Amino acid sequence: MIKRTYDWIDERLNVTPLWRDLADHDVPAHVNPANKMSSFVYCFGGLTFLIIVTQILSGMFLSMYYVPDINNAYYSVKYITDQVLLGQVVRGMHFWGASLVIIMMFLHMLRVFFTGAYKAPRELNWVVGVLIFVVVLAFGFTGYLLPWDQKAYWATSVGANLASAVPFIGPYLKILLAGGSTIGALTLTRFFAIHVFFLPAALLVLLGLHFIMIRKAGIAGPM
Amino acid sequence: MAGEDPREKIPGVPRRRPVHKEISDGREPFFPNFLLKEWIVGSIFLVGFMLWIIFNPVELGPKADPMDSSFIPVPDWYFLFLYQLLKYFGPYLLFPAVLIPMVATLLLMFVPWLDTRRSRRPFRRPFATGAMVLSVFMMIWLTSEAWNQHLYEIGALQPAASSLPFATQHPASTTLMATNLPGYAIFKTTCAVCHGADLQGQIGPELRGIGNVATEAELLPVVTKGFPPMMPPAGGLTSKTELQEVVAWLAQQKQK
Ligand code: HEC
Ligand code: HEM
Repeated sequence: MIKRTYDWIDERLNVTPLWRDLADHDVPAHVNPANKMSSFVYCFGGLTFLIIVTQILSGMFLSMYYVPDINNAYYSVKYITDQVLLGQVVRGMHFWGASLVIIMMFLHMLRVFFTGAYKAPRELNWVVGVLIFVVVLAFGFTGYLLPWDQKAYWATSVGANLASAVPFIGPYLKILLAGGSTIGALTLTRFFAIHVFFLPAALLVLLGLHFIMIRKAGIAGPM
Repeated sequence: MAGEDPREKIPGVPRRRPVHKEISDGREPFFPNFLLKEWIVGSIFLVGFMLWIIFNPVELGPKADPMDSSFIPVPDWYFLFLYQLLKYFGPYLLFPAVLIPMVATLLLMFVPWLDTRRSRRPFRRPFATGAMVLSVFMMIWLTSEAWNQHLYEIGALQPAASSLPFATQHPASTTLMATNLPGYAIFKTTCAVCHGADLQGQIGPELRGIGNVATEAELLPVVTKGFPPMMPPAGGLTSKTELQEVVAWLAQQKQK
């Protein structure tokens, strides 16, 4: 039955080649922890991706309740934490997940670095990786403001002030970032939009490139 | 026909295993074999993650108050190393806030063109490996410095009494002495923010009974030098006479 359905779809859309490209390849022995325990370092990229997926899912649920305006943002987060069924857990996932992504991504980068896997022909994938790193840090910076508590507010004002240290364009950069001369209503909506629309779009594109390039070049061989 | 295909069927999917020349070279199809194993690792990882979340509920601080500038700002932990860097450059923000992070990111990005040795082994390219180990070490050190200083600032850590030049004996009496001296007024406006209006200690240590363990002459160089970065030189005082007056008053604090 499943096979018949599959064949029916395949006849019309010819999905088998797509599917082959995606999943039909061998995993070399030296990256498989089942062969050698120390190969677990090759799992860090996959685990980072797993946490990215949980971040996206928990973020989607948080956005059902979160309100990005300065009067209600704080109370909506309070409501999520104290009232919503499992709200504490979903918020916990998103909060701790943010740190975990950074830790796992850093470990993944160190493993790529110390195994020299960025060397030819994988240079471009390393560059994409560094861009991913920057995007993930930007997620952290914009997300930190959203609960609109004291910590959020004052850390962001320090951050926005630092932008004005950039020569020439600094003051404009600060206004671009904060939406005005002080941290306020416009900053919050701006950070919210960046956090939930701009950055996810950038991250998904970059991750797509990352994975395509891994498939093209394959995982680097044993050292 | 399917029966003539020499390749072994993979159960559950309309595909066959490719024939390998050496069967036992440790390779494994990504799907489904490897992915299933990876999923087991992922599940264990997720269980650990969920347990952590349940035992470490997230908190929500007080609501943002743009008027209350006394709040001590602190970034999330992964920005602490940059935040700490700022403190070493005083008012020159250009270096720690712009140039250093930018140059570091660019260096990281161009690593494949900077480290052009053929070998991939870390010990065969000591410069690259050394630079990365050093950077990671610096980041960890800056983060821990930043965190400790933040704990001091919010008063969660009291300086260890043994590292202080004068070990005050935590006297029972709390009444201030010699409050008619001009030094008292100066103390209230400069030193009290850290040492407490009643000398009880906040960010800085308790100073009650300090007159029992230190004389004016002993106190003056210590206060003049301060304890950067925790206490600025002279506690921030710029006038020499004021400094002498404060120290004269402090030397009278002989609570028992
Ligand atoms: C920014 C906060 C701050 C200010 C302002 C400040 N102090 Fe301190 N002070 C400290 C800290 C912190 C220490 C402990 C340093 C350490 O742990 O080594 C200290 C230590 C001292 C000590 C040594 C105490 C001992 O038991 O050995 C003296 C004396 C002292 N301060 C006097 C002063 C005087 C006088 C002023 C005002 C002119 C002043 N401080 C202003 C933070 C401050
Ligand atoms: C969200 C963040 C990221 C995800 C989800 C991710 C995912 C992955 C995955 C699944 C792999 C396969 C091998 C492995 O798991 O170790 C991989 C390989 C690779 N990653 Fe990442 N990665 C991320 C960030 C980065 C960063 C920050 C860098 C570098 C700065 C980077 C550089 C590379 C390179 C060069 C490879 C190829 C390694 C090889 O062929 O051996 N990645 N990535």
